[in-house]
Order: sequence, then C-alpha cells, then structure tokens
Amino acid sequence: MRAPNETSSEERGAEQARLIAAMAKGDKAALSTLYDQLSGPLYSLAMRMLGDAAESQDLVQDIFLQLWQTADTYDTSRGSVFSWSATLIRNRAIDRIRMRQRRSELLANAAPDLQPASLTGAADSAGSLWLREKAEAVRQALDELPPDQQQAIEFAYFSGLTQQEIATRLNEPLGTIKARIRRGLLKLKESLPHRL
Amino acid sequence: MSTELHQELAGLRALGLLDEAERRDFEAEIAAKPELAALCHMFDNTVTHLALTAPAQTPPPELKARILNAAVVPPKAPVIDFPFLRFAPWLAAAGFALTAVWLTVQNISLRSENAAQQTERRLAEVAYRSAQAQLAERTLVAERMVNDLGSRLRRSEDLARLKVSALASLAGNTREAQAIAVWDPEQQSGLLTFDGLPVISDEQDYQIWVVDPAYPNPVNGGVFHVAADGRVSLSFRPDQPIKQVAAFAISLEKKGGVPKAEGPIVLLGKIPSI
Repeated sequence: MRAPNETSSEERGAEQARLIAAMAKGDKAALSTLYDQLSGPLYSLAMRMLGDAAESQDLVQDIFLQLWQTADTYDTSRGSVFSWSATLIRNRAIDRIRMRQRRSELLANAAPDLQPASLTGAADSAGSLWLREKAEAVRQALDELPPDQQQAIEFAYFSGLTQQEIATRLNEPLGTIKARIRRGLLKLKESLPHRL
Repeated sequence: MSTELHQELAGLRALGLLDEAERRDFEAEIAAKPELAALCHMFDNTVTHLALTAPAQTPPPELKARILNAAVVPPKAPVIDFPFLRFAPWLAAAGFALTAVWLTVQNISLRSENAAQQTERRLAEVAYRSAQAQLAERTLVAERMVNDLGSRLRRSEDLARLKVSALASLAGNTREAQAIAVWDPEQQSGLLTFDGLPVISDEQDYQIWVVDPAYPNPVNGGVFHVAADGRVSLSFRPDQPIKQVAAFAISLEKKGGVPKAEGPIVLLGKIPSI
C-alpha cells in the first residue's frame, strides 16, 4: 500500500505532465496554471543561488519560456516537470554564477577595494501548498544531517563551485568533501520520498 | 551491487560536479550496467529535492504577465480529414497537374528570384556605401574631438587632469581588439576609440562601465554597437557622478544594455595612479 503523500506526489506529477502536454498544443491557460504551481519554488531556487531579484526574475522568465517552447519534448520517464524545471534553473544559474565570478575577479583585479554585492532576500511564503509541505520535509531531512555533510551538500548544490573549489572554500581535502557528499546524499535518500 | 566509489560518482554526477573526463568514463560504465543507472536515478531524485530547501521567496506579480505576454502561440497547420482511397485516381491526376504547375511556377520564380537578388545586391551595396559614409562622418567627429582634446592637452593643467587608459583584450574574448579611453574628471565625460572589436548580433550591444571604488557596482557609461570593420570612436558620460576612476570595462550585453553588468567583460583597462 502506498503512503498518501506518495500518491499525492504522483497525482501532482501527472497533473503537471498534462499541463505540459496542453502547453505543447499552445494552451496558454496551462502555462498560467503551471506558473502558479511552480514559480514560487523556482524563483526561490534562483534567488538562493543568484541573490539578485532582477537576475532571478529574468532566469525564471527564460525557463518558463523554454518550457513553453520545448513542451513537446518533455519525456515523463526522465523525471517530473518540477525536476526538469529545477534542473534547468540550476544549470542556468550556475552559468551565470561562473560568468559573474570571472567578471568579479577581473573587476576586483582592476579595483581591489570593490566588494561583491551582498546576498539579499527575505523569506516569504509562496508556491503551492503541496510544494510548501514537501519543502518543509526536505529542509527537516537536511537539518538532520551532521553539519559538515549538510554544509558540503548545500555548497555543492547552490554555490556553482567545482569539487576542488568547494574543498578549498571549506578548507578540507577533496577526498573528505567527496565522502561527506556521498554519505549525506545516502542519508537524505533514506528520509525522502521516492519521487518528487 | 554498488561500491562506495560508484555511490560517490553517482552523487557527484547528480550534482553536476564531475569533470568532463570523469563524467564521460562514468556515463560509459552506466550504459553497460543497469544497476548503476538505477543508482544514478536514485541520486538524481535525491538531489532534485534540494531545490526545495531554498528559503521561500515570492516572485513579483508582474512577472507572470510578462511571461504570458512573451509566450507566443505557434501557428498550427490545419488538419484535414480526407478519405484517401476514394479519391486516389483524382489525387493522382491532381498530382500530375500540380507538378506541372509547380514546375512552371518554379521556372518563373527562379527567374524573378534571380532578378530580385540582383536588385537586393545593388541595394545592399548602396546601404554599405551609405553606412561607410556615416561611419566616416562619425570618425571625423571623433577625430575633431580627439584634436580638441589634444589642443586642450597642450595646456599643462589639462594634462594633469586627463586620465588615459589602454584597454586590454581579455583572453578568449577579443584578443585582437585595441581600445584607448580618455577621461576628463572635470567634465565627467570620456572618449573611447576602438579598433578590431568583433562584430556582434543585432540583439546585443557593447556596454561601457566605469569602475569607481565609491560605488559597489561599476557605473553604466552607455551602450554602443560596432561597425563591420570593428572601428568605433565615441564620447560617453556615465549616468552617475564619478569621484575616482579605477578602471574602464566593456562588456557584451543584451540590446539596450543592463543596469548591472551581466555579460562577459571583453575589454578592461586600469587607470594608472599618478
């Protein structure tokens, strides 16, 4: 017998897959509904990674338009619509972070007194109830990890840094960082639902 | 059964942290071992959940309208239900007739296309000559400005005042480009001359940035496009007062520019401290 929240996840996933199928046929109402369901968590992810509201809005707009234009290529076997969208947001945010790092290095070199803009963003409630509940469970699971594993995983997911850069930033050998990520992900896997 | 090494690789792969060689080797191994594919799928799913741990933020209400307005409905070809077999002979006849008409039309169309292309080429030549003339005119204006600045340079007080910087191309971007920036702190304006700057698409602009330690971000100095020969001379005035110029930078941005640099920096030049 399946747990109720697992059933709900599958139903939600199927509904979002139907919305994507409708978008592939040019249904703007479906895009509107999908936006209502996913914009909160996707914007939050962009803000967590980029720390800049204007850049995050541009990114969310780009990704929803990409979903709209490539809806006919969505393959349910490759993961949920949310997984697809979150991966697109994260990959594009990493591109921006790396470009920004290069730009900051260049400008800091030219004017060493310049400091990068600080991260901003007050917490706010958003997104569908389903995703908010889910988010709470994932945060709780992450909080239950030992702090060193939690830190390594958060750096690895949100910072856009390479393995070596994470090791340097955390002042630990590369092998230690890899082991922390592995152990942390294995523990998370045990406490998270099978499919998002 | 998965080893610790496989678990480690699967985790790093899910986080996008494998380098190119590691990724290629691991993908080859995954393709050969279904149990590894399952392990990777499991790690991918776990990593996707991490997206939800970002502190909740609300996008501004106008973003939705912006996205819906930008989502253009692609035109769909009408689908016609046609009982094919019943009309097969007529279709064949119609096909022959259409082919004959099509060939005739193609013949006429190719002839007129040839004529149109010749006209287009002539128009393009005229446009090119006109652009060259405009550019020459601009260059003259810039030369006058340089001469003007030069004449002012002869006065010793101006010589001390003006800041001159040679902007260096950044590796992998615009190796061959050359640029000189002259900055007049009193007038709060500058002059830039470029040579060999790569031509960019119509959807992009080069944007000038003035680095002043008084501001957290470089100050916008305006945008410009580049002519086919990569030469540009222009004056610029930053949109905020500059107290101390540390450097000039040129970045490649979307058309019309951005309030804060987003694109790659293609040229950079420090102002030597005197």
